[in-house]
Amino acid sequence: MIYYNPADGDADNNPVKYRPKTCFIMTRLGHPVPKVIKEIRKDIKEVLTPLGIKPIDANSLVTGKDFLKKIWNMMRSVPLGIAIITEEIPPTTLANIFYEIGLMQAYGKETLVIKTPKSSVPSDFVRTEYIEYKSGFRTQLKRFLKEVQKRPAHYEHLAELLERNPLLSIDYLRRAYLISGDKSYRKKALEYKKGIGDRAKNSIESLMLDF
Amino acid sequence: MAKQKKDIVQTKNPRTGKYVKIDRAAGKIVAHKSTSGPYKNVPVARKRSK
Repeated sequence: MIYYNPADGDADNNPVKYRPKTCFIMTRLGHPVPKVIKEIRKDIKEVLTPLGIKPIDANSLVTGKDFLKKIWNMMRSVPLGIAIITEEIPPTTLANIFYEIGLMQAYGKETLVIKTPKSSVPSDFVRTEYIEYKSGFRTQLKRFLKEVQKRPAHYEHLAELLERNPLLSIDYLRRAYLISGDKSYRKKALEYKKGIGDRAKNSIESLMLDF
Repeated sequence: MAKQKKDIVQTKNPRTGKYVKIDRAAGKIVAHKSTSGPYKNVPVARKRSK
C-alpha cells in the first residue's frame, strides 16, 4: 500500500514500527475528560487485557515531533481502532475522531464506534459497527472482538485466493499478523514476495514486508 | 446461462456475512453479493490444508 503523509502529501517511504495486538483508542484525551469516557475506557481495558490486546492512544507515545504524523504512524501500526463518542465531546474533537476512524478504515483496520445512547454519528458512518454504552455493553464488545479474532484466518484464505496479486496477498497477511501477532503470516508473505522479484529496501513491496 | 470461468470462486466475508466473488487468475475480488446466500454456479473456495 502506498501511504501519503497527510502533513506534506508526499509518499512515505519509512518503515512502520508495527504494534500487533494493540488497539488505538480515539476519544477526548485533553482535560476535562468526561467521567463516562473514563468509565468506558476502564471497561474496554478490562475486556481487552485478557485477550492480550493492549489499548493505546495518542498520549501513549511522546515523540516531540509533529502530532498529526505521530497519530498517523500509530494508526498505521495497529490492527484495531475504537472510537468513543459521547454527547459531551466538543465538535472539533469529534471531527478529529471521525477523521481518524476514516483513515483507519481506508487502511484496512478493524474499527468500532462506542457511543453513549444520546450521542449520534454522522451519516457516512452508519455502516460502521457501533455499540451503545448501556446494559450489555461488555458482552457486545466481547462478541465484536471474538469476530475480529476470526478474521486472520479469513485474510489468510484471501491471500491464497489472490496470490496472482502478491501485493494484495502480502497486505492481507500483514493484517492477519497485526490482529493475531502470529509471525507465521510473515513467513508466508515472504513466499509471495518471491513472485515479485528483487526490489529496493525502501520500495513499496519491501516496506509492505516490514512486519 | 453464461458459463462461469474456472478460476472464479467465492468465499464468505465474515464481516458482512455476504459472499464475494474472486477471480483467481486476475488476482482480484470481482463482485460483492448484496443479498444473503452464495452465488449460483460458482464454487466455494476451500481453505488449503496445512
